[in-house]
Amino acid sequence: MESFFQALTLAFSPYAIGAVGFGTFVGLVFGSIPGLTFTVALALALPITFSMAPVPAIGLLLGTYIGGMTGGSVSAILLGIPGTPSAAATVLDGHPMTKNGEASIALGTAVIVSVFGGVFSLVVMIVSVDLVSRIAIEFGPAQIFALVLFGFSTICGLCGPSLLKGLISGVLGLMIMTIGLDAIEGIPRMTFGSINMLQGVNLLVAMIGLFAVPFIIEAFSQKDDVSFGDRPMAKVRTELPSFRLLFKNLWLMIRCSVIGTGIGAIPGTGGAIASFLAYDHAKRFSKSGRKFGKGNIEGVIAPETANNAVTGGTLIPLLSLGIPGDPATAIVLAGLMIHGIVPGPALFMNHEVEVYGMYVAVVLAYFWVLGLQLLGIRLFVHVLKVPREMLAVVVLVLCAVGAYSIRNSAFDIYSMAVIGVGAYVLVGLRVPITPIILGMVLGPTLENEFRTAMMLSEGELSIFYTSPTVVIFFGLAALIIILQGISELKLRRRSRQEVQTTDA
Amino acid sequence: MKLISRTRGVLTAAIAAALISTTGAARAEFPEKPVEMTVLFGGTANTIAQLLSELMSSELGQPVVPVGRKGGGGAVGYSFMAGTAPDGYNIVWNSNSISTTYHTGRIPFDYKAFTPIARVSTEVPALAVNSSTGWKSLGEMVAAAKASDKKLKVGISGKGSFTHLTSAALFDALGIADKVNYISYGDGKAPVELLAGRIDAAIQWPGQFVSYAQAGDLTVLAVTGDTRVAILPDVPTAMEQGTDINISMWRGLAAPAGTPADVVQKLETAAKNAVDSAAFQDAAGKIGFSPAYLDANGFGEVIARDDAFYAKLLGELGMAK
Repeated sequence: MESFFQALTLAFSPYAIGAVGFGTFVGLVFGSIPGLTFTVALALALPITFSMAPVPAIGLLLGTYIGGMTGGSVSAILLGIPGTPSAAATVLDGHPMTKNGEASIALGTAVIVSVFGGVFSLVVMIVSVDLVSRIAIEFGPAQIFALVLFGFSTICGLCGPSLLKGLISGVLGLMIMTIGLDAIEGIPRMTFGSINMLQGVNLLVAMIGLFAVPFIIEAFSQKDDVSFGDRPMAKVRTELPSFRLLFKNLWLMIRCSVIGTGIGAIPGTGGAIASFLAYDHAKRFSKSGRKFGKGNIEGVIAPETANNAVTGGTLIPLLSLGIPGDPATAIVLAGLMIHGIVPGPALFMNHEVEVYGMYVAVVLAYFWVLGLQLLGIRLFVHVLKVPREMLAVVVLVLCAVGAYSIRNSAFDIYSMAVIGVGAYVLVGLRVPITPIILGMVLGPTLENEFRTAMMLSEGELSIFYTSPTVVIFFGLAALIIILQGISELKLRRRSRQEVQTTDA
Repeated sequence: MKLISRTRGVLTAAIAAALISTTGAARAEFPEKPVEMTVLFGGTANTIAQLLSELMSSELGQPVVPVGRKGGGGAVGYSFMAGTAPDGYNIVWNSNSISTTYHTGRIPFDYKAFTPIARVSTEVPALAVNSSTGWKSLGEMVAAAKASDKKLKVGISGKGSFTHLTSAALFDALGIADKVNYISYGDGKAPVELLAGRIDAAIQWPGQFVSYAQAGDLTVLAVTGDTRVAILPDVPTAMEQGTDINISMWRGLAAPAGTPADVVQKLETAAKNAVDSAAFQDAAGKIGFSPAYLDANGFGEVIARDDAFYAKLLGELGMAK
C-alpha cells in the first residue's frame, strides 16, 4: 500500500500529469488524422522520454498509445478512413452515421465507450494480472491459430449481401501479406527480385491505400448539379449521446470489454481482431441486426469498446511476460527497458512503484482522452463542412506523407497508390473492402502459428484436435459459418418469393 | 491574400534563419541534413539503436533517425543499404548478421560492401530451460537428452538467425546435434514458450531471461561467450563446463563502402562519445548488453576475423550455401 501512495504522488506531480496529457494529445492528433498513425507518434515520442524520470516517461508513452487508439475512430467515423487498423470495424457503422447527420453522436459515443473499455480492462488487469497471464501462457501456436481462424470467420458478418465477394476480398488480403520474405524460413516470395518488395506490404500503408484512395477518387469523380466547391460532406450538428442511449447498451459494452481484454491478453493478436470479433458478435446478438452497416450505434459501440479494452489487455503480456502485442507496444517496451523496468515475473517484485505509477498513468490518460475528445468533437465535426474536393486534397497529401513516414520509403507511397486504385475497382464491383484488412491483419499470424505448431508436433496434425481450447475455437468458427449459410439460404428463398409475387 | 503573403514571408525568413543557424559558417561540412540509421532487428537491437541515435544526434548537431528495415535475418536492411549513396547520410546498425546472411546465401555481397565506423556493443547468447526439468548444468541436459528417445525441442528466433547458429554450434559441440528439433518463433516469444513447457530449451539474449530466472521459473544453464555476463553473474560459460564454444554477437555502425574518410571519422567520434556517455553506460546495465567501443580500424579487423570464423562454422554445420 505504501508503494501505491508513493506511485500516486509520483504520477500526480504536475510534470507527470502534463507528460501524460501531452502524450494523449499527440496520440489523438496522429490517430485521428488519416495517413498518420500512432505507431509513428510513439516512435517520435520515445527519444523524448529518455531523459525523463520513469513514471512520467512511461506515462507519456502510454498516453500516446491510448490517445492514438481512441483517435483512430475520428477519421473512421467522419471520413470512412480508419486512423488505425483497430478502427477499421468502426467504419462499417460509424461512417453511415455521419452520412445520416449523426456524426457527433457517433464520435461522442466512441469516446465514452472507449474510456469505459479502457478503464474496464485496466481494472481486470490490476485484479487478475497473475491469473490472466497464466491463462495466456497456455495459448501456444496451435491455440492462437484456432483463435485467429475464429477471428477470420467473422468475414461472414462483414461481407454484406454476398458471401462469395466477402471471401474473395478476405483471400486477397491473405495473398497480399504473402509478399516479401517469409518469417520462418526467410525465403523471398513474389518479390520479382525487387529489394523493396522483400520487406513486404506494410499493413498501415495498405490500410491507407484501401480506404483513403477510393475516398479521394470518388471526391473528384462525382458529378453533381451543385457547383464545385459547394458540396459539404454532411450536415453538421453538435450533439452528444444521451445517458439513456449509453445505459441501454451497458451490457453490450461489458461484453465487448471482456472480448477486448481477453484478446489483448493473448500475445500475438491485438486490437484489430478484437474489434472485428466484437462487431460480429454485436451484430449477431442484436435485436436490430438488420440495421447494421446502415448506421447502427451498436456497430460503433462494439468495436470501440473492444479496441480500447485491448490496451489494458496487452499490458498483461507486456508487463508479466515482456511480450509486445503489436508494433506500438513494442515501442512502449523499449521505453520500459531503457528506464530499467524489465518486464517479466520479477517486475512486480522489483518495480512495484513504477507498476502502480503506470496504472495511475493509464487512468489519467483516459481522463485526458475524455476531456480533450469531448472538447475536440465540436471542432472535428466542422471538418464535414469543408467541401469534399478540398478535403480530398488534404487527405491525399497527408496519406502520402503518412505512407512515407512509416519506414522512410518512397516505394510505400507507390504501393499505397497501387493498392488504392485496386480498392477503387473493387468498390466499383461491390466487393467489400473491410475483409481485405481482416485478411491482412490475420494472415501472417495465421500462417506463422500454423507452421510453428507443425514444427512443434513434428508434422503431426493431431496438435490441432487434442487440445480442448483449439477444438472450442474451431467449433465456434464452424458455428458462425453454418449460421451464415442458413441465413443466406433464407434470404435467397425470401427474395425468390418476392420475385414470384411481382411476377404474378 | 496580403496576410497570406506576409505569413509566407515570415515563414521563409524563419526557415532561412533556421538553416543558417544550423549549417552556420562551415556550409559544406558533414552533416548538413539528418542521418538515417537502418535498424535490422526489433527487440534489444532496436532499443539500443533508439538510444544510440538519440545520443549521436546531440553529438552531430543533426538528427540521426533510426528506421526499421527488418526481415530475413538482416537481408532486407543490408540490401537496402547496399543501394544507398556512400555519403554518410545512410548508416546501418550492423551486427554479425552481415556474415551469417552472406554465407547462408541471403545477400549476394559480403562485409566488404561496407566501411566500418565503430563497434558499439557486444551481447552473449544464453541457454535456458524450464526449472521443472531439474537440469542444473549442460551435462545434465545432455544426459537427459541421450537417455530419452524423443528429440529436444529448442526455440530459436528464426531459421538462419544468430540464435539458430549459436544453438547449432552448441548442440554440435555437446554431441547431441541429431537429438534436436528447432522451433522458430518471432518477436522474442521463446521464453514464454519455454515457461509454458511447449519447448525444452531456448537460446536467447540474457535480458530476456533475467526476470524469469530471478522468479525461479527458468534455469539459465550457460552463456556461450568466453566470460560470464554482468546481469547473470551466477551463470557459468559453456567453456567452464567443458564445452569448447565461444560465440558472442557484436553490434556496431557501418556505411556503404566508398564513404569519405573524414565523414566516417566524424561518425566514429560521435559514436565514441555516445558510447562513453553516462546515459549509454547506465542503459547497458539495465538492458543487459556490454558497451564495447572499438574504432573503425579495430572494428574492421574484428569483422574480417569473424567472417572467416562463421564461414568455417556454417560450413561445418551444413548451413552454408
